[in-house]
Amino acid sequence: MRRTVLSAIALACTAVLASTVPAFADGTTPTAAPSTAPSQAPSEAAPSAEPSQGNEPSQGTEPTVAPTPVPGDEVSVVPSGAPDTGEVSTSTKSGSDSGLIAGGAAAAFAVGGAAFFVVRRRRATGE
Amino acid sequence: MTLPSRRALSRRGFVTAAVASLLVSCGGNQTDRSTDDRTTDDRAGAEKTGNSQSPAKAAKALGRSVPVRLQVPAIQVDTPLMRLGLASDGTVEVPPIAADDKAGWYEHSPTPGQVGPSVILGHVTVGSYGDGVFHHLSRLRRGDRIVARLENGKAAEFAVTDVRTVAQAEFPTKEVYGNVGSPELRLITCGGPRTGDGYRDSVIVFAALSSDSTQ
Repeated sequence: MRRTVLSAIALACTAVLASTVPAFADGTTPTAAPSTAPSQAPSEAAPSAEPSQGNEPSQGTEPTVAPTPVPGDEVSVVPSGAPDTGEVSTSTKSGSDSGLIAGGAAAAFAVGGAAFFVVRRRRATGE
Repeated sequence: MTLPSRRALSRRGFVTAAVASLLVSCGGNQTDRSTDDRTTDDRAGAEKTGNSQSPAKAAKALGRSVPVRLQVPAIQVDTPLMRLGLASDGTVEVPPIAADDKAGWYEHSPTPGQVGPSVILGHVTVGSYGDGVFHHLSRLRRGDRIVARLENGKAAEFAVTDVRTVAQAEFPTKEVYGNVGSPELRLITCGGPRTGDGYRDSVIVFAALSSDSTQ
């Protein structure tokens, strides 16, 4: 009897671990996403990160490149392209992934709990 | 005696576990829902754009003085301004990604109130920190008031003349940075639907110095 109970518990725990581990293995990939975030656009994001070193206004940035100042123009140096003023939250992606992880863990936990409950009940009825 | 109490305990434990599981799963989904709402919000805002562009040319130009603060009452924006230059790739610098997000003035453009398009940039979102200072920029309407506080204590007051959402691939460089012959203001952020690592569009607010600028 006791062996049955113990083996059932062991089985339940194995089931929980088996289903949770892949979920977390999956979940660690989005955590790697932040590391892709800096590299997402080396051409655009990197420069925007430069002024962020200090949270103060960046004043000494002009000397690096000069897309030829045009004298007489109201804007002396016209930048190229659209500014990158929208940092997308990485939590948007990991949000859905964390939902999956949580769901998987919850399901596994429920299955384990159910197995445990069934075994105890059987034991109580004296099978 | 001990058996029923044990059974009750295990039953209680199971119910607790089940409830906890449900709560955990609901929590995960709620995160998604909130971000979805934000996306819808952006989309709705992006669709609401004004059209006509008729700058009020009545106002007198101000002298050069660096802007230190920007106030846009219609969207509850009141932010200090930092100076932004050029990035090494020739694009304009943007403010740092930080919790206390602020806007920035492009220092190669005229100061607000001077003749020409003064350009101010801000983030629509700042990654994990949430909404950026210009999150609701696309909600501005023609006639809305924008105040730029200057270093010399004066304030340049502008009125919105147009709000446009344009694809970043077709950014209207000339219309934003080109000569205009009168004191104007551009507020720029990202908008439209999110793409892989950013946004598809840019939201540009065009404004002209209004006649009642503080002297």
